[in-house]
Amino acid sequence: MITLGDYLIVSGILFVIGFAGVMLRRNLIIILMSLELMLNAANLSLVAFSRFRVDSTGLPNYDVQVFVFFIITVAAAEVAVGLAIIVALYRARQTTDVKDISSLKF
Amino acid sequence: MTMITAPELEIAVLVLGMAILLVEAFAAKIDKRVLAFVGIAGLALVLVASFFVTPGSSTSQATGFWSFYTADRLSIFFKQFSLVTTIFVLILMTDYAPVLRSSFPGATLQAGLGEFFALPIFTCVGLMYLVSAIDFVFIFVSLELVTISFYVLVSFTRRNPITLEAGTKYLVLSALSTAFLVYGIAWIFGVTGQTNLQQIADALANPATDRNAALFGMVLILVALGFKIAAVPFQIWVPDVYQGAPTPVTAYLSVGSKAAGFVVLLRVLEPFLALPQTQRLIVVIALLTLIYGNLAALPQANLKRLLAYSSIAHAGYLLIGVACFDASAIGFYLVAYLLMTLLSFAVLIIVAQQTGEQIDDFDGLAKRSPFLAFAMLIGMISLAGVPFTAGFLGKFFIFYAAILQHQTALVVTGVITVGCGFYYYLKVIRAMYWQSSARVDKIPVNGLSRLAISALIIATIWLGVYPQPILDALKR
Repeated sequence: MITLGDYLIVSGILFVIGFAGVMLRRNLIIILMSLELMLNAANLSLVAFSRFRVDSTGLPNYDVQVFVFFIITVAAAEVAVGLAIIVALYRARQTTDVKDISSLKF
Repeated sequence: MTMITAPELEIAVLVLGMAILLVEAFAAKIDKRVLAFVGIAGLALVLVASFFVTPGSSTSQATGFWSFYTADRLSIFFKQFSLVTTIFVLILMTDYAPVLRSSFPGATLQAGLGEFFALPIFTCVGLMYLVSAIDFVFIFVSLELVTISFYVLVSFTRRNPITLEAGTKYLVLSALSTAFLVYGIAWIFGVTGQTNLQQIADALANPATDRNAALFGMVLILVALGFKIAAVPFQIWVPDVYQGAPTPVTAYLSVGSKAAGFVVLLRVLEPFLALPQTQRLIVVIALLTLIYGNLAALPQANLKRLLAYSSIAHAGYLLIGVACFDASAIGFYLVAYLLMTLLSFAVLIIVAQQTGEQIDDFDGLAKRSPFLAFAMLIGMISLAGVPFTAGFLGKFFIFYAAILQHQTALVVTGVITVGCGFYYYLKVIRAMYWQSSARVDKIPVNGLSRLAISALIIATIWLGVYPQPILDALKR
C-alpha cells in the first residue's frame, strides 16, 4: 500500500534534485529543465495531499487538482518566454553557459 | 448613477491593453508613441473610475469569485497605486523610446515600440489582481502574470548583451522563487486542507493542526516573496537586473513589483501571526536587509546600481513595518517610495541619454539644467529622509510603529543605517551642485515629462508637510 508519506518523500527528492540542478549545472537549458522538475515536484505533492484528504462525502478536494492545471499552464508560458530569451542570448553571445554571462559585477 | 464594482476596473485595463496590441498589429503606419498616450489616457480614466468603487469587506463565508478576490479598502488603495505607477512608467517609456529604437539596428524606425507600451498595461492588470488576491491559487496566477510580463520587459532591448544577461538572471531566479512558492502552497494545503487565507487562519487556530509543517510551508512562501520584495538573503538578482534592464522597466520593477509583493506579504502572513516564530523571522530578515542594502550602496559609482541597493535598503525599512504589522505605515511608506523613486528615475532617463548612468555623469547638472538638478535633489533628499519630504514621514511612521511595539533592535539599526544613507545620496547631490563639468549645453525636457516631474516634486513635498489624505485613505 502506497501512503501519503511515500508520495511526499518522492516529491521532496524531486524538489531537491531540481534545486541542485539549478545551483550546480552551468547550462541554461538544463537549469530551465531543473526548474520544471521543481514545479512538478510541487504538483506531485499537491495531488497527493488532495487525494489523501477526503472530506465527509468521501471525495478528494478537487480545487487543488484544478490548481495543478493552472501551474502546468503557467509553467508552459514561463518556458516559452524563457526559451525565447535563451535563444536571443545565444544569438548575441554564441553561448548558453552561465559562466560566460557575468559582465555585470559588484 | 450606476455603481462601478472593483473587478470591472481590471477588465477595463485588460481590454485597454488588448486594444493597444491590436492597433499596433494592424495599423503599421501610425506613430507608435500615440499608443503610449492612449494607454496613459485610458489608465487615467480607470484611475478616476476607481474612486467611485465602494470598498467591501471580506468574510470567511464568501463563496465563488469572492472567495478568491477581495475589494477591501487596502486593495482599492493599491489598485490606484498600481495605476499611478503604470501611468508614470508609460511617460518614462516615451522618453526612453529613442534609446529603444537605437537598440534595434536595421529594423524599421518604430519596431518594437508598440509591445513596449502594451506590456506594462498587462503587468498593471496583474498587479491590480494581486493586491486583491486572498486565495493562494489566485495569488499564484496573478503573480505569474506580473512576472512573465516582466521577463519580456526586462530583456526587451534584446540586441544589448547586458540587458539579455539581466533578463536571463531575472528569469532563472524568478522561476526558482515560483517553484518555492508552489511547494510552500502545497505544504500549507496539506496541513490545513485550504487555499483561502481566511480559512487557513481558521484552520491554524485549531490546536489539532500540525504547526511545524505549516511553518515549513510558510518559510518556503517567505523565500518566494523575499525574492519579489528584494529582501536579504534573496536580493542577489536585484543589482544586476536593475542595472541591465531598460531604465523605465527598472523603475517599474522597483516600485510596482515591490509594492504588490508587500501587500501579498501582509495578507499571507496574517494567518501565521498565531505562530510566534513568524515575527522573529521577519525581524531577522529586516535587520539583514537594512544592513546589507545600506552598506553595499556606499561604494557604488553607477547611479542605476546605487538605486538598486537603495531599493534593497528601503525594503528593509518596509520590513520593519511588516514586523510590526502596521499596514498603514507600510502604505504611506510605499507611496513616498513611489514618488521619490520615480522622480529619480525620470531624471536619470533624461540625463543618461545625454551623458551616462555614472554618478560622474551628473557633474555640473545644476548649471546645465537647474530644473532636472532640482528634481533629482528632491528625489535624493526624500530617499535619504530629510524632514519636510515624504521620505522623512514614511520613515517616521515606520519607526514610530516599531517603538510602540518595543522593537529596540530594529529602531536602533534603522536610525544608524539612515545616517549611512545620507552619505551615498548626498554623493549625487554633490556631483550635481559642487562639481564642474566640461559640458555646458542645455538638456532638453519635453512638455509631458516636465509636467510629470513637476507633479512628483510637488507631491513629494506636499506629503512631507501634509500626509493626512494618504493616511485617511489607508484607514480601515
